[in-house]
Amino acid sequence: MDNSRQQLKKQVKKHIPKDWLCEIRIAYRIFMEAVNDIKRTGIVNLVIITTMVAILTIFGVLFRFTISLSSFAGELGNVLEVSVYLKSNSHPSVVKDRVREIKHVKSVRLISKDEAWKGLKQELELGEMANPLPDTLRVRVDKPQNITEVYNQIKTINDVEDMGYAKELAKKIQLLTHVVNTTMFFVIIISAALTITIINNTIQLVIQARKDEIEIMRLMGVSNWYIKTPLIMQGAFYGFVSSIIASIPVGFVEKPILNMHKFFLVPPHAYAQNVVIITLLLIGTTFGAIGSFLSIKKHLQV
Amino acid sequence: MIQLRSVTKKYKNSYALKNINLDILSGEFVFITGASGAGKSTLMKMLYKEETPTTGTVLIGGINIANLPSDKVPNLRRCMGIVFQDYKLLENHTVYDNIAYVIRTLGISSSDIRTRVTGALKVVGLLDKMHDLPSELSGGEQQRVSIARALVNGPPLLIADEPTGNLDPKNSFEVMQILEQINQRGITVIVSTHDFTLVDRFRKRVLTLENGELIRDIQAGTYGQ
Repeated sequence: MDNSRQQLKKQVKKHIPKDWLCEIRIAYRIFMEAVNDIKRTGIVNLVIITTMVAILTIFGVLFRFTISLSSFAGELGNVLEVSVYLKSNSHPSVVKDRVREIKHVKSVRLISKDEAWKGLKQELELGEMANPLPDTLRVRVDKPQNITEVYNQIKTINDVEDMGYAKELAKKIQLLTHVVNTTMFFVIIISAALTITIINNTIQLVIQARKDEIEIMRLMGVSNWYIKTPLIMQGAFYGFVSSIIASIPVGFVEKPILNMHKFFLVPPHAYAQNVVIITLLLIGTTFGAIGSFLSIKKHLQV
Repeated sequence: MIQLRSVTKKYKNSYALKNINLDILSGEFVFITGASGAGKSTLMKMLYKEETPTTGTVLIGGINIANLPSDKVPNLRRCMGIVFQDYKLLENHTVYDNIAYVIRTLGISSSDIRTRVTGALKVVGLLDKMHDLPSELSGGEQQRVSIARALVNGPPLLIADEPTGNLDPKNSFEVMQILEQINQRGITVIVSTHDFTLVDRFRKRVLTLENGELIRDIQAGTYGQ
């Protein structure tokens, strides 16, 4: 009598499984449950995957364009520079060092007034006359959006006579970068929301269809995670397969984009396509699993 | 093995169970009887934590299952066999798969599963039906499959909630005989029923519920006495 009482107490508290072989068998059986769930979903699988492929394709193509637009914005930003004209009594090398210490300054190039005058004389074929040009510093910044801040700081230096930079171009580059980042942010949010919603509804249907079966499993003492994990795997599977399929049409835009880079002489991002495919896989699989998880949390009372 | 102390279950304004105090020892065979709505099913559900008491404690093997965290409930259910009136078999699984289902989730090897399933099927006399679907079996056979499934994990306790409720007298008697044989192997068996002929015939301990109260507890009793 006492023996069976002890046995019961031990069984309720014990953690199952006990060894790695059991773990492997359980993992395999959970995997097979997921495979069977997918098989049972039948033709609906096609509908779900097709819809998700469409969403992920749009996301992938936009993402690929965004990477290229970033390259263009970066390239334009590289040609942006502030011209700093120094007073005639200043010490150009001292000012150059001071400017170099300012935050966000990428490089400073000194063009002495003699050097500048020589170039101008040659260009305009001028005769002998006094050099009217000042010593000039050409300052480049790390990012286009920092150019105003750098400009304002240089302005405070006493030895600076005058300054100038392509304000309108800088503004346009900043706007372009902002638009690119904002668009990408919303594309990711919308893709994630759509993926989660589709998977959420699909898994809800699966749960409804298997309601009685899940109830029996629960009453027979099948672990909660054994019931839930195949459903989460099913959601992740839809995301994963859809991402792989979506990477095919996304690949088609690669050539026209590279041609565009060639035409404008802007070097493309070296691993852009790989980044897009990996991001697609991560987003598809992760949000597929999240959609499934949310559905389980809402509709599966175990 | 089972101790209920001051167990009360209240639904809004009505009581399903009122102040139940009860001890069931290991190896006992107990009938829980009473009219429909007397609280039999609520009491049975409390034993496998499908219901929790409003007040009181339910001790099984020394564990107060009223406080058992939800992630431990499957463990509790795996160490008892549960048989239902409507069999609760997976319709698209064979007899073998129905019985093997739970132990498969424990990571037991296929050969072990085969040994256990065939052993359980021998007990209920359905070894030749292992590849049939539940829809191909009679009600009595389906209930025997359900008993085999309850036995397959070698539980020390078997709970049968109205196991003969959907069966004719002949099948009811057969099912009850199987439960008695199982009890003779040392397994505690608790059966809820309102079939007085069976209760009178088997002469086991009888607990009678009426309006949620335990009004009678008789050893080797009959339905009315």
